[in-house]
Formats: sequence, structure tokens, C-alpha cells
Amino acid sequence: MVLELRNIEKSFGEKRVLSGVSFSAEGGRAFGLLGRNGAGKTTSIRILMGVFPADGGEVLIDGAPVDREKIRFGYLPEERGLYPKKEILDQLVYFAELKGMDRPSAVRAVDRWLERLGMSEYRTKRLDTLSKGNQQKIQLITALAHDPDIIVLDEPFSGLDPVNAMLLKDVVREEIARGKIVLFSSHQMSYVEEFCDSIAILGEGKILLSGDLREIKRARARNKLVVSAGQPERIRAALGAACSEGERGELIVTLAAPGERQEMMRRLTEICELDAIRVYEPSLNDIFVEYTSDARGEEEA
Amino acid sequence: MKQFGTIFRFEMKYYLKNKVFVGVTLFLVAAIALVMFFPRIRSAFAREETPGAPQDRPVMLVGGEEAALPLFSSAFPDYDVRGAEADPAALREKIASGEAKCAFLLTGPTSYTYYVDNLSLYDQNGAVADGLLKTLYQTNAMLGRGMTPEEAAAVMSVRIEGTLENLGADQARNFWYTYIMIFALYMVILLYGQMVATNVANEKSNRAMELLITSASPTGMMFGKVLASCLAGLLQLGAVFGSAILFYSLNREYWGDNPVIASIFGMPPALFGYLLLFFVLGFLMYAFLYGAVGSTASKLEDINTAVMPITLLFVAGFVVVMMSLASGSVDNTLMKVCSYLPVTSSMAMFTRIAMGAVPWYGILASVLILIVSVVGVGILAAKIYRVGVLLYGNTPKIGSILRMLRKS
Repeated sequence: MVLELRNIEKSFGEKRVLSGVSFSAEGGRAFGLLGRNGAGKTTSIRILMGVFPADGGEVLIDGAPVDREKIRFGYLPEERGLYPKKEILDQLVYFAELKGMDRPSAVRAVDRWLERLGMSEYRTKRLDTLSKGNQQKIQLITALAHDPDIIVLDEPFSGLDPVNAMLLKDVVREEIARGKIVLFSSHQMSYVEEFCDSIAILGEGKILLSGDLREIKRARARNKLVVSAGQPERIRAALGAACSEGERGELIVTLAAPGERQEMMRRLTEICELDAIRVYEPSLNDIFVEYTSDARGEEEA
Repeated sequence: MKQFGTIFRFEMKYYLKNKVFVGVTLFLVAAIALVMFFPRIRSAFAREETPGAPQDRPVMLVGGEEAALPLFSSAFPDYDVRGAEADPAALREKIASGEAKCAFLLTGPTSYTYYVDNLSLYDQNGAVADGLLKTLYQTNAMLGRGMTPEEAAAVMSVRIEGTLENLGADQARNFWYTYIMIFALYMVILLYGQMVATNVANEKSNRAMELLITSASPTGMMFGKVLASCLAGLLQLGAVFGSAILFYSLNREYWGDNPVIASIFGMPPALFGYLLLFFVLGFLMYAFLYGAVGSTASKLEDINTAVMPITLLFVAGFVVVMMSLASGSVDNTLMKVCSYLPVTSSMAMFTRIAMGAVPWYGILASVLILIVSVVGVGILAAKIYRVGVLLYGNTPKIGSILRMLRKS
């Protein structure tokens, strides 16, 4: 199954929020929608979920307009919220029933998920008696209990402690393995990098970059080397401005052109004894910062 | 449809599990029980007290005409009537000291002065004395012109026979239950309307809304919520009126022929059918309006201001109906107009059916207009709800809602 957003346009009053946004996500893979605050991530997701209509463009499943009666969506909205004063089981079953399950299977599914997330003891508690992290887990069940085909998670990791984040990661991996389309929005790059096979970066309501994450990384100019050596100061002295310090204290050597790589490696081995040398792979964070700060630069210029 | 059932059940459970709802219902049933058992309780106490109870009737003094004393005694059975000297100062003194409650000083065959410590709103003593002296004067005049006392008595106590044939409603008999039913309608619609509005605004303010509108159709949501509140309202009314009827039947003999109670419990079944019909339709009308308005408020605090126009409209209708009901002219022009306007017809038409003269086609037209309006308002409310729930921040202006309605 392939989910595709094509040329989505949206304005709120005078403000144009999305212009020509297109991206696609396929089953069994996770898709990350990235962007800075206000880039249009949540608006794109709300249009995908049918919260409000787009001014133009289409949402397609396998090339045909999405039929929301047939395709089951699971949604974890950025604005988290359930009924604080109601019993957890009651409301989870209610939402599962609204999504088309009959009552007995809804109860079974909800119980299974409560068990899976270690929340069974809170089954009959009121939601507002739970901690924030646990409320998040309950909210996650509303997105998953009805066994959706497409799972849309808007900032799923915000507010989770490392243990719960790990649990969420496991759950998401299971769903991906079951062939679901999982669509993330986040600005926590490390999580996205860990999961997502493809990404799209949104900025100012436009797609700045999209595609397979590995290919994107490979296509970056491979013009940096990571060097660890016993005497880095000798390299610094020899190469001067081409050297910089990496995040973990390693030495980064920037090449004038990617073609000089072999030549530079030979030269480095001549300067001093090296422990390791490898081509620098840009992190998603680097790519994100590069693209989104560019967008801002253009805006300001 | 399946979603509607799910929503309806969920909302219904909310009412039945709501402590306030259950508490208020129980309280009302208890209050009704207290009222209905009151005569029985009172008579139980009265029977214990009767033996040896002191003659504590208030004292009425009559001065000036010794012969009138027996007449006053029989005309004022609630008073201990005693003779007194014809001295205004002494009479005033006795009333002021509390020795007597009131006094009549007869100053001539057709004049008197009435002394009383506090003139009550319902004091009829003057009117009784007027009648008494008039009869006395007329009898004396007849006797003076040569009639025998028997002839004079026959003239004075002549009996007129009249028969009444009422072709319309009996206002005196219908007044009380119409009054109570209109009042019940008013209370329930205001209360539940507010509850629906708060319920919707609550979902919006605790952000459950985004999940709800991606899971269920707005029409299903609106109708599920409103019909559940309607059923809850009917259940509550059913509990109140049902217990009233039950407790009344248990205490029927203690109520005797109290006109108010007899009017309420002697309501014709057809009228009860109309009551139910207009209750449900009027309720739905306002519950939809309240729900739609509730969805446009972004905070619970805004609810009261947001629902104000609807409440005012409803209260205005209620005032018109109540004023007409009290004046007895329920078929006046304003009421005629109100009984076809869908926002007021539930109260106005019911009142006219109970207390006035409405042709059957008038009732039919009013009901049809109301049904069509309820469905229309329901669909419109669902649309407003769909748009309103997404407008966070300031309460939106009517213009912006209309714009979004056109777009959606």
C-alpha cells in the first residue's frame, strides 16, 4: 500500500500554510515528516487525517482518492487529549468502537494493548489519576487498538521518559514489521534517524527535501574525513584551516573537492600515525539544519 | 448509524454515572414524596392534637348594634365574635393590646368602621360585613313594607339555576397543570441545554475533539449527544412525575378535593401526549442550538457568554407564555405568532391547546414546522460543530463561522 499526498495547498485566512506539498509513504516502512516549529507538519497531518479539507491537492492510496470508510487510520494527535474524568477502559473501548470494532473485540484489543504497555492495573482508573507519561501511553492505545492500516504519530516521543520511549520504539517497530504505513512527525532527529526509511523536510509550507534517507545521506557531498590519531596537533599544524573538531572531539578534515579524498588519505598517513580514518556520513541532524536554516536564510534575504 | 449507537450509549452512560444527575433526581423524588405525603403527615399530627385543644380562634369585637351580633357570629365562624361598647378609642386600645384581632364599629344601618391590627392582602372581612349589612338592610326594608319574615327570607335566598356548557378548554381546571408543565419544560430545557453546551466545550477544551472528529461523523456526534441528553431529561422527568403519581395514589384520600392537585392529576391523556411531543421537539430544538454554540466556545469560561443569545430567546418565549397564561387570554396575537415559530412553539402551542381554542390544522402546522426545523437545526448544528470545534483561541465571530461553513 502506498500513501501519497499530492500538491496539497492550504491557507488560513491570508496566511498560506502549505504550498504544493507532496510526499509518499509505503507499507512496511516508516516515514518521517520533519520540520521546524510552524513549518506545516501538523497541518499536513490534519489534512491527511481529514480534520479539515485542503484548499487544493489530493490524498491518495495506491493512486486512488482515499476512502476513509475502508482505510483505517490510527492517529496520535499533537494536541493530546481524552476524557480526564472517565474510566480508561470505557474511553478506549469507545474510541475503538467508533473506529468500527464491535464491542467484544474492542474490549479484547484494548486489554491486549494495556497488557502490552504494562498498564493493565489502571484499567478501571480515571485518566486524570495517571502520570503524564502514562496518559501518553493510553493515548497511544487509541491510535493502535483498532489495528489501523496507516498509523500517524504527531510528535510521539514528546513527554516520554527513556524507558517509555524505548517501549514506544519497540511497538512502532512491530507495527512496521506487520506491514503498516507508519508516519511520524518530529523534530527529534535521533528518533527519526533510528526508524525512518524515508523522510520529507518541510520548511515554510514547502517540501525542501524528500526521499529515501540512506540515499539522501549517500548523495551528500562526501567531502569530509573523520580522523583519529595519536598526535592530532601535527595534522592540525600541517593542514591548518581544513581541520575542525567534531562533536565527540574527533578531528574532521574538510576536502576542497570530493575527488581529493584518496590523495588526502595518503597525505594524512604520511603526517603521522593514524588510529582510524573514514568518510564522514552526515547525520540527519546536519541535513536538517542545513536545509531548514537555508530556508530561513532565503526568507531573511 | 452504528456510530450513532456507540455515541448514544457512551453519552447516556455519562448521565447515568454522573453523581450530580443521580443526586438531583433522587432529591427531586424525595421532595415530591414530602409534598405528596404532607396532608397524611399533617392529619396524623392533627388527630393527636385535637382532644383538649384550646379554643384559640382570634377575637373579633362588634360594637354599636347588639342585634347584629348573632349574624356576625355565624358569618365569621373562624373568629370568636364578642360584643363591645361603641367607643373607638376602647376598640383601638383592645386591638393594640392584642386582646382582639379586629373590630367592627357599626355607626348606622349602612355604615361601619373596621379596625384591624395588620390588614392582610387576603382580608375579606370587610366584604363579608358589607354583604351582611346589605342583607340586614334589605330584610328590614321588606319587613317594614309589610312582608312576613318568611316572605322576606324567600326573596333574600332566591336560587338561580344556570347550566354551563363549555365548548373549549376549561381554563380554571387546566391552569395548574399547564403552569407546572410549562415550568418543567423551561427548567429542563435550560438545564440540559447548558449541559449539552458544556459537554461539547469540555471535549474541545480537553482536546479529545481532534481524536473524536477523526473517528466519528459530526452528525453522529451531534445527534448522539443531543438525543442522549433528551433521553436523560425524559428519564429524570419520568422519575419525578412517575413518583408524583405513585405518591399521590398512595395519599389520594388525604388530599380530598384540593383543586390544584385535582387539576394536575386529572390531566386528560391526549394532553399528556401533546406534552410529550412538544417536550421532545422543544428540547431537541434547543439542545442542538446549545450544542452548536458550545462548539464555538474555546474555553469553558466562555460558555456562559456564548449561550446567552439562545437563553435570552428562550426566556423571552417563556415570559410571553407565562404572561398570557396568567392573563387568561392565551389566544392573543402574540401567542398565535409564537405558537408557529419553532423557537417558541413548544411552549406556546402546548399552552394554547391546554387553555385556548386551536383548530386541529393549527396544531398540525405547528408540529410540522417544528419537526422540519428540528431536523434542519440538527444538521446545521452538526456542521457548525464540525467547524467550531477546530477554532481554538478566541471565540470566533459569526462571520468567520459562516465563511467556514460555506467552504466545508
